[in-house]
Amino acid sequence: MTPALATAAAPPHQAAGFWRTYVVSTDHKTIAKQYLTLGLVMALIGGYLAYVMRWQLAYPDTSVPGFGFVGPETYNTLVTMHGTIMVFFVAMPILLGTFGNFLIPLMIGARDMAFPKLNALSFWLLATGSLVLVVSFFVPGGAAAAGWTGYPPLSARAEYTGVEWGLNLWLLAHAIEFAAFLLGGVNFLTTAITMRAHGLTPGRLPLMIWQLLTASVLFLLSVGPLIAGAIMLLMDRIAGTGFFLPDRGGEPLLWQHLFWFFGHPEVYVVLLPPLGAVLEVLSVFSRKPIFGYRLIIGGTLAAGALSFIVWAHHMFVSGMDPRLAMPFSITTILISVPFALIMFAMIATLWRGSIRFETPMLWALGFVAMFITGGLTGIFNGSAPADIYIANTYFVVAHFHYTLFAAVFFGGFAGLYFWYPKMFGRMLGDRLGPLHFWLTLVFFNLTFFPMHWLGLAGMVRRIADPTQYEMLVPYQYLNVFVTVSSLGLIVAQGIFLLNFFLSLVRGRMAPANPWQAATLEWTTSSPPPHGNWGPALPEVERGAYDYSFPGAAQDWLPQRRLAVPAIAGGQE
Amino acid sequence: MITRRYLFVWIWLLALMTLSLFMGVAPVARHAAVTLMFTVAAIKTVLVAVHFMHLKIEPWLIYAIALVPVAMVVGFMFTLFPDFVFVR
Amino acid sequence: MEDVAFRAPASPGQSRGEARTGGEAALRGKIAIWWFLASEIMLFGGLITSFVLARLGGAAGTHEPLNVTVAAVNTFVLLTSSYTMVEAFAAAEHGNRPGMRFFLAVTVLAGLGFLGLKVYEYSGEIAHGFTPGRGGFWSFYYTMTGLHALHVLIGVVVNSALLVMAGAAIRRPYRVELAGLYWHFVDIVWIFLFPLLYLT
Repeated sequence: MTPALATAAAPPHQAAGFWRTYVVSTDHKTIAKQYLTLGLVMALIGGYLAYVMRWQLAYPDTSVPGFGFVGPETYNTLVTMHGTIMVFFVAMPILLGTFGNFLIPLMIGARDMAFPKLNALSFWLLATGSLVLVVSFFVPGGAAAAGWTGYPPLSARAEYTGVEWGLNLWLLAHAIEFAAFLLGGVNFLTTAITMRAHGLTPGRLPLMIWQLLTASVLFLLSVGPLIAGAIMLLMDRIAGTGFFLPDRGGEPLLWQHLFWFFGHPEVYVVLLPPLGAVLEVLSVFSRKPIFGYRLIIGGTLAAGALSFIVWAHHMFVSGMDPRLAMPFSITTILISVPFALIMFAMIATLWRGSIRFETPMLWALGFVAMFITGGLTGIFNGSAPADIYIANTYFVVAHFHYTLFAAVFFGGFAGLYFWYPKMFGRMLGDRLGPLHFWLTLVFFNLTFFPMHWLGLAGMVRRIADPTQYEMLVPYQYLNVFVTVSSLGLIVAQGIFLLNFFLSLVRGRMAPANPWQAATLEWTTSSPPPHGNWGPALPEVERGAYDYSFPGAAQDWLPQRRLAVPAIAGGQE
Repeated sequence: MITRRYLFVWIWLLALMTLSLFMGVAPVARHAAVTLMFTVAAIKTVLVAVHFMHLKIEPWLIYAIALVPVAMVVGFMFTLFPDFVFVR
Repeated sequence: MEDVAFRAPASPGQSRGEARTGGEAALRGKIAIWWFLASEIMLFGGLITSFVLARLGGAAGTHEPLNVTVAAVNTFVLLTSSYTMVEAFAAAEHGNRPGMRFFLAVTVLAGLGFLGLKVYEYSGEIAHGFTPGRGGFWSFYYTMTGLHALHVLIGVVVNSALLVMAGAAIRRPYRVELAGLYWHFVDIVWIFLFPLLYLT
């Protein structure tokens, strides 16, 4: 199929106005930057909520600087909206939206996505959803307060949380967000299936593309039941139906099944793109081919398939049938096998490499260390007997942040520092980068590691005032410690924002291939022109990771077929 | 201008519809009627998918995209039986 | 792997020349629509699963009196519209513009007829006090048929757009096929909703 495309002429580059260039642009690179901007703005809101929450936990019922007094009701809203914003409106836009839109056409040698207008529509739908969510803070009754998982019956009746329209808007924002990523996922898959450059067989695709595609498939196949559940919950709230309300003959447990059938694949939707970014970075900065390319693809697909049959491990204390606990424990432990394979492949890639400790590499190494730590606590959570003790405690909060926060931060920043030159045409300042990394690494651990202890000491999640519980009073110093550390973590991100904007105007101009990487996107200029490739589309003649190739003049061989063969004798 | 194959499929669909309507009132055991009705629904689905949606001539990837979710729904349903059906 | 997968002709018209069916664009559209339908299968699958579980477990109550006659007519209407839709595509492929317009018009009318009968049905039920809040069965009945009716409405809009822009549809017949794939899917959903809600 691809050769037919290879003849497609470059789209004419016309000067468009501000509106067409930056607002309703159909260029995948601009749309990627729009996703990035939206994600960063929402991250500021989500981070602010985290700060208010942490302050309340350390110094209960004092006035939070920059917010005011936090009561238990407000605290519920903070917890709910922090989770919702960070997972659906920060992690997904940045990791799937930005990386997917920017990298898929560039890494497969296409000029744009398969449906550029649909792509713009996806982004603007997401922007609308974000707006709805932000507006929900300001409606009477405030924003949603039933937890980011929205369990009924708490979420099904306005009088239980005191939130009427906030939660309806919360459901609406989700619906719009899902529609946006559904259309986006369809676009990603169609693009990568039909528009690959000549010679770019599936066995030569960069692993980042494999991860993005697997994530898209997981999202498309898992989101349906949750949309169904969301419609049912909305009907319960506004039309008086009784899907999830026991007094009307409903089943609250059904929501949990519908939610987590989506919820577990969803964490891999968030995890896989940064995993792909880390794989790319590790190979480039070790100057070695990735270890076990096919093994990693197999592991990714296996983990993706398994992710659909582990969901009930979120529900060991929900009152579901105990006979379901054992099978779901087993599948959960099983899913650590493909991820362990991928982790070993990462470490083996480093083995005897000529490692370059540039900033993206620091983040990638941080990802490996932190993700393994988080994965290990996952084994405790995954086995029902242990989980029944620690479910709903800060141990789970700690585990969740070690895996997901580590993926979003360490994997996401690895990718962002790595592709920033390609996106914006300038290098990120390399003094602030390592400072940002080391501060984040230290404060991340200081913030989240003590949460394990708090959880084991019996501190339950979603409580506004731990000092109300006598058994937790002796551990209050830990809560204070965590809060102070989290302030450090938040302030450290200011370094990134400073670096980001300073480099945008003052950074060193980026060459086409600043990291001497092999994949296709590094063979066009930084930033790539409209249409990406000039008059002729690239052709591919080798795999994505030919570093330190014996007999080659330079230590990497680009995937792209060059006018002059990069190595005497030509082919692989 | 009528395509003979599509017309045949349509007639088959109508015949099957009549059959399941008849089963709704026929004096047969309830579970037999229900089983037959859903068998009929499955046959109608296959007819529409294979002929009207041209699955007959599609490559395997399209088949996979169509069939994997169906299998997942069925699996999902049976996994939840212990929680909602066997409890009463 | 996909390269091998798509060696088979991608649409019935492809043997008659790629220019007519649009080749690359048709293939992209078809893959996109099928991925979309996969997620739709999961959406309706989630609802149907919930209903079956509630029904077998007793939460959705027992069967309630519904207007089977109207629903049977509606089933007939929707099955027929599926047939006319695929005939519209066949006509478009042959460049038969009047034929395509005729069959598309019948499909649109059938869709509108379905919605009209559905409204009639709803109003009768509500007049008898069977509102969505009346219990488990009615919760599912209104949610499932309502979501399905919304899909029918979208299909009617898409098919009307094709009818209005018949010239463009004749030049790119694959668009009729893509709209048809969606329309047939909506039909299939009804094939299951009908026995689930009305007959068992």
